[in-house]
Amino acid sequence: MSNVHERLRRLLFLVPYVSKHPGVTVEALARALNVSREDLLEELDLLTCVGRPPFNPDDYIDIYVDNDRVYVDLDQRLFAPPRLTAGEAAALAASAELLRPATGDALRSALQKLEGIIPPAALERFRGMYRKIDASAEAPEALGPLTRAILERREVMFDYASPGRPSEPRRVRPYELLSHRGQWYLQGFCHTRQDARLFRLDRMEALAVTDTAFEPPPNARADVPNPARSRTEASVRVRFSPIAAPYVKERFGRDARPLSDGGVEVLVAGDSERWLTQWVLSFGGEAEVVEPQAARAAVARAARASLG
Amino acid sequence: MDRTERILDLVALLLDAREPTSWAELREHFPSDYGGSDDAAERKFERDKAELVELGFPLTYVQGDDERRDGYIVDRDAYYLPEADLSKEELAVLYAAGSAALASGAFPGRDDLAHALRKIGFFAGESLPTPRVRMELGAVQEGQEKEVSARLELLWDACATHKWVQLVYASPKHPSVTERRVDPYGLALRRGVWTLVGHCHLRGGLRAFQVHRIRELKVNTAKPRTADFEVPADFSLDAHVAYFPWQHRIHAVEEVVLRLSGALASRAAGLFPGAVLEAAEGGVVRARLPVTYLDGLIRFCLSLGADCRVESPEGARSRLHDMATRIVEKHAPEVGDKVSA
Repeated sequence: MSNVHERLRRLLFLVPYVSKHPGVTVEALARALNVSREDLLEELDLLTCVGRPPFNPDDYIDIYVDNDRVYVDLDQRLFAPPRLTAGEAAALAASAELLRPATGDALRSALQKLEGIIPPAALERFRGMYRKIDASAEAPEALGPLTRAILERREVMFDYASPGRPSEPRRVRPYELLSHRGQWYLQGFCHTRQDARLFRLDRMEALAVTDTAFEPPPNARADVPNPARSRTEASVRVRFSPIAAPYVKERFGRDARPLSDGGVEVLVAGDSERWLTQWVLSFGGEAEVVEPQAARAAVARAARASLG
Repeated sequence: MDRTERILDLVALLLDAREPTSWAELREHFPSDYGGSDDAAERKFERDKAELVELGFPLTYVQGDDERRDGYIVDRDAYYLPEADLSKEELAVLYAAGSAALASGAFPGRDDLAHALRKIGFFAGESLPTPRVRMELGAVQEGQEKEVSARLELLWDACATHKWVQLVYASPKHPSVTERRVDPYGLALRRGVWTLVGHCHLRGGLRAFQVHRIRELKVNTAKPRTADFEVPADFSLDAHVAYFPWQHRIHAVEEVVLRLSGALASRAAGLFPGAVLEAAEGGVVRARLPVTYLDGLIRFCLSLGADCRVESPEGARSRLHDMATRIVEKHAPEVGDKVSA
């Protein structure tokens, strides 16, 4: 979209926003519009030139900054923003799909109400555009209650089955939800383990939100272990056939070393034997652990077990 | 006069007008903008009008009668955003998803989405929920997000305006890139990866393109307000994009039966969504699922380990056997390896 279009959308929101929040600080307004302070002041300058014929003094928008706060005295009928355009509503509705089906009834009713605030003439276009993004991520049911628990800062309890261990109850302060490669994770502080932990949502059972409140740390941020970026000294060398090479190159970029037979070789983290084995097996014979021997043996063991 | 300023002036004028505003009056009000030759002025106004419509400004031209004169009017009720009366939960859902999509970096229609969130928050006061939900979308390689995000924005516009795109595509199946013209029908997100589905002029049919594999992208700029193509009424994105590796449309559908035991038994529904599950003896779960890409399924089964077995058909069993044998052979102890104690 053109800059003029973006700017017009912003300005048609700015005047009503200030009208509704008289005395909003320049900083807060810039944040609400996602522009820099300098750009905002420029926009305010432009708005003082906007008006309607015959352009008498009272015909102009009267918007001004006083003591770093913004006020509008004459909004020239720009007291509410325009309705959602078809594109805006479609992008919003499509993004809501990301949390489906966890969002359930609230999403359905929200979308119905959304249709009510689109100009009637744009409704058909909205429905058409909404069909053009399919972002349903097959979110797990636990996403709904966990989102609520994070918002309300309440501890949660669930049974969790770590790989290779029986399920056991955990009590956790939920900090952040993260979707990585289609998999949902919860990052939080686990009382049971007395440590920060990352939990996969598909391994949780019997989830309950408790009434115990907590204060989240300011910068809790979940990071999913990524073999391409978490190389350690205990690296594992994996070689791929020419068939698998293009896909590996796609993920590893320059870290994938080309081999003379058309294949590639990469170094990945070796701290989780389980992960490594699964990953190598998922290439169905197109990947081979070169070293260390222990990792080679683990892959061979797992493949033999599948044959058994 | 600056174009942004002129269009805002038009908005202010038309929102305030009680009577239709004629073209002659508009020319009189904006002499330096709509002056000059009739043709040039009309073209300029047509462009401004198109921009107003794009902004959602409900502008119409009425033919005069005995009661009123000819001219442009705006339906004020259809212009102003009304309160949507969203409940706390509804607002939370839209906000959580919308802000997570914005924070994720790669979501088509980011600008549209940001404006939409502002608008639905307009009546909500200060206390808008901002849950900490983050999604890593679109990028397969680290540092790719910006590029994918920019491509998605162009594709979103092209989808919305029905303009064809010219793309340079690097498929892992082919050693060199291909250049093709595509009519973009829509965008789908599957397991964190964005896919464009559209009619490919090079192949003469519907094709799916992963957005991170698009090397160059240009949108047809000729006649920006004229649609280049129509999307067939029966088109469905879901029919062309796979969620799971065994759903790629490569072969005819065949039913595969899997046997899940141990810890996998209780996770069967999550691992194979849509499969028909049936409990068998000893806590074992049998999963029947339609498969169109057998190798994709077998590789996934292998990664799950020995608790996932293929029961039928025979072809699938032997495929797993072949792959596992190959892995064992590749990882056989090398001659001269020390035998550990």
